[in-house]
Amino acid sequence: MRVLHVEDDEDIRAVTEIALVQLSGFQVLSCESGQQALTQAERFAPQLILLDVMMPQMDGLQTLAALRQLPGLAGVPVIFMTARLQEAEQQRYLSAGAIAVIEKPFDPLTLGTQLRELCQTKLADSRLSDV
Amino acid sequence: MQSAVKPENEAARLAALYASALLNTLPEPRFDRLTRLVQQALHTPIVLISLLDEERQWFKSRQGLDVCETARDISFCGHAILGEGVFQITDALADPRFADNPLVTSAPFIRFYAGVPLKVAAQPIGTLCIIDSEPRTLSDAETAMLIGFAELVEQEITDRLHEQAHLQLAASELMYRSVLEGTRIGTWQWNVQTGETVFNERWAEIIGYQLAELMPISISTWQHFAHPDDLALSASLLTQHFNGELAFYDCKCRMKHKNGHWVWVHDRGKVISWTADGKPLMMYGTHADITEQKQAEQELKASRDQYQALVNNIPGITYRCLADSDWTMLYISGSIDPLSGYPATDFINNQVRSYASVILAEDRNRLTKIVERAIAERRSWHVQYRITHRDGSVRWVEERGTPEFSEQGELRYLDGFILDINAEKQLKRKLISLTAQLPGVVYQYQQWPDGRAAFPYASAAIEQIYGVKPEDVTADASKVFAVIHPEDMPAVVNSIQQSMSTLSLWRSEYRIVSKQGDIVWLLGSATPEKMPDGSVLWHGYIQDVTTTKQHYLALEKANQALQVARERLDTASEQAQMGFWQASLKTGALWWSPVIYRIFGFDEASTVPSVALFKSTIHPDDRQKVAQSELQAAQTGVHDVIHRIIRPDGTIRWVHETARMLPEAENPELIMVGSVQDITERIKLQQLKDEFISTVSHELRTPLTVIKGAVTLLNSGMLGELAAPAQKLLSAAQHNSERLSHLINDLLDIEKLVAGKMPFSFQQLIVAKELEQATQALIPFAEQYGVTLQLEPVLSVLRVRSDALRLQQTLTNLLSNAIKFSTSGSKVRLRAYQHDSLVRFEVQDSGQGIPEEFQPQIFERFAQAKTPQGESKGGTGLGLAICKELVEQMGGSIGFSSLPAQGTTFYFQLPVAGSEK
Repeated sequence: MRVLHVEDDEDIRAVTEIALVQLSGFQVLSCESGQQALTQAERFAPQLILLDVMMPQMDGLQTLAALRQLPGLAGVPVIFMTARLQEAEQQRYLSAGAIAVIEKPFDPLTLGTQLRELCQTKLADSRLSDV
Repeated sequence: MQSAVKPENEAARLAALYASALLNTLPEPRFDRLTRLVQQALHTPIVLISLLDEERQWFKSRQGLDVCETARDISFCGHAILGEGVFQITDALADPRFADNPLVTSAPFIRFYAGVPLKVAAQPIGTLCIIDSEPRTLSDAETAMLIGFAELVEQEITDRLHEQAHLQLAASELMYRSVLEGTRIGTWQWNVQTGETVFNERWAEIIGYQLAELMPISISTWQHFAHPDDLALSASLLTQHFNGELAFYDCKCRMKHKNGHWVWVHDRGKVISWTADGKPLMMYGTHADITEQKQAEQELKASRDQYQALVNNIPGITYRCLADSDWTMLYISGSIDPLSGYPATDFINNQVRSYASVILAEDRNRLTKIVERAIAERRSWHVQYRITHRDGSVRWVEERGTPEFSEQGELRYLDGFILDINAEKQLKRKLISLTAQLPGVVYQYQQWPDGRAAFPYASAAIEQIYGVKPEDVTADASKVFAVIHPEDMPAVVNSIQQSMSTLSLWRSEYRIVSKQGDIVWLLGSATPEKMPDGSVLWHGYIQDVTTTKQHYLALEKANQALQVARERLDTASEQAQMGFWQASLKTGALWWSPVIYRIFGFDEASTVPSVALFKSTIHPDDRQKVAQSELQAAQTGVHDVIHRIIRPDGTIRWVHETARMLPEAENPELIMVGSVQDITERIKLQQLKDEFISTVSHELRTPLTVIKGAVTLLNSGMLGELAAPAQKLLSAAQHNSERLSHLINDLLDIEKLVAGKMPFSFQQLIVAKELEQATQALIPFAEQYGVTLQLEPVLSVLRVRSDALRLQQTLTNLLSNAIKFSTSGSKVRLRAYQHDSLVRFEVQDSGQGIPEEFQPQIFERFAQAKTPQGESKGGTGLGLAICKELVEQMGGSIGFSSLPAQGTTFYFQLPVAGSEK
């Protein structure tokens, strides 16, 4: 699975990459900002986008909105990751089109499994709604 | 020349002349016509009607002559009147009597004269004469003609006199008629024999008609309008007049007015002519309207009657008597009867007894002296004395009288007024006995300009108040002043001086020192009165107010304490920015303490608070919230809400309202009493804190994510095997990163809970499933401690109303606590069952129990128990505090029971699902 990961914290990017690539065998493109993601996303053609919320310049929501504009990215599932989870915020992210919100600190051992499950649920849901 | 002699009866002649009223009158055509006829008939140039008075001849009519008079002594006529018939001078120049007469020798140069005397009332008052300047002699025919003309002149003179008499008569009749009209008197003429009657216009007018309306008029017209009752009187009076018994017919009777009312008339008349056989023929009379006079008479009579009634009804007795020793009464009102027992008639002219005889003997001399002095000084008197009633009792009377003098200054009689004051005297006696009953002293205090002072009257109570007897102070007040407290003396003296100089009410509260040495508080008040001798007399009352005063002083002290307490409260409420209010939800009336005005930004002086005003300040987004709280208050009696208000200047403030309301049954006005606190600053701080915590948690979690992630990955062994010590260190690091993560989560949770910001999503949860989930989650943890988790069977249908996540959090917290405090190898039991409408959850361990001293703080934040060995079990110290908040905010309760060395059972209960219905 190709995962586009946007996160400004370099260390978190490293931990996440190791967890997803080494443990789950995902193909991960890590970007340090929304801008960077925009330039590379189309070519990478991710199957899942993992977005940090609090980032300088473009935050998670803005990045999401911008990525949705790119050809082929409109239907890609998006999951937010945040250290500042409050109920009202979670609702905002879901309304913006995210399929889930993962709280930091996350468990690196189960992260890959978690993402796969979330995507399958999403797929099943969309199939159901298509019927 | 020879003048004519005067006739023998000159005086009678002159009288006749004057009576003819011809002298000095204007020419009249009736005479001038005649003289012109004579001139033509006898062909003579001059014709005169000459009248001779004492000095001259004056011409009433003249033809051919310019002068109107000449002296009598040169007149030819003076001669002519002396004889009868024509006096003729044929040629004056030839007659020695006239030859040198100036009328002959100069103009009109008389040569011929012929005159005939004109006789009125047989006296020759003058002549008709003809004159010519040529000698001439009248023929017989001419002489006869002249005499005939003279007779015609005489006739004219007589006729003229008659005419004048008629004119005068007519004038005087007109005058009389005018006078009658002016007096507005009606007139009547009655032919007694034929009944023919004449009334004037006024006669008809008196009864409201015009004469024409009454036509044809006869004596029956009068009878028709006269009052039937008065006709007989009128007839009788007429008969008496006809008989000669009465000189006039004079009758006052009533006549019917056109408008229906009766008019009083005064008829007066007299028979003025009689028939040959002595019967009355013509009767003339007058008819006057006397209605007003009659009315005035009636009014006078009415007012006289009224006066009499008044005199009879006034409580006193009026009298007029002679100034003698008997008091001889000329008049005394009937009310003397009840007072003396004798009728008024007894006293009039001393018919039965004199007034002096009823005056009590002891008072008689004094009364006489007083009255005599008043008479001598020509002034009224005022005296009280006693009289003896017929029944022997003695009555007090008060008399005011005055002597009446004639214009010549002679004493005529005494007029007076006597009042029965017996009741008053008795009242006074009663009053005196009443004052004796009063707790205070009723007194009169008199002070003279020279400083002397006394109590002319004091009721017996003065002894209880001041310890002196009334007679001790009648002449000298000093004994009273001696007991006044020295500290209060100046104020008392000053207040008396003040009252004396301004004659205003004296009022003073002061102390005296009793004989026993006690302090007694007195309150006195008195009304001053200026006396003729310059002194001032007070009438007053003084009472002992010691008890009241003591109460008052106690009250004052209490008030002061209350004031202090109130000030403290005010200060506190000021500092806390907390105001108080009271509202009636029924009437909408609202009272605010001063702080509230400031909180809401209103000016206290110009704002009238009301429930409506308050509602208008609520932020639109918070109105629903406030309304809900009020609704809740109606049911629970408690109102507690935090909301925003918008001040008049547009600023927004946060306020916290709390209030209590009694149930409607006990509180018909729906009175709500509450407080309002401005918590804007607190809210702002809260927001800052929220912001801070949110930021901090993010800042903490970001590195934690890295550490925990890295350590976990390394520790998993998935990235390669590590040496045993390294593995051990990594385990410690991972364990502590998890602990730190928990701490952060717990901190955020408790913060949210305490702030009331934890969201709950209630559902109906199957209890068995929830317990199973919690147990499964903690099995690995329990294994670390060597503890077995034992889930006891639960009814599969049992459901609880709760938030799934928070129920798990609570169960996990309690279970992990139980595991931590259990000894290895022991069991932790978990069970749940229904108890009434609640589901009770229990977590039981078999540990050491909770130390007694720690039990009260067990649910407090950061409270952490230690084992008896003093070792800490780790954790955040927030777990139980979070559990308590969670359970309570989910509508439940939490508690525990613990026995030393026997373990602890934590329990909480939540509503059974469906129980809320």
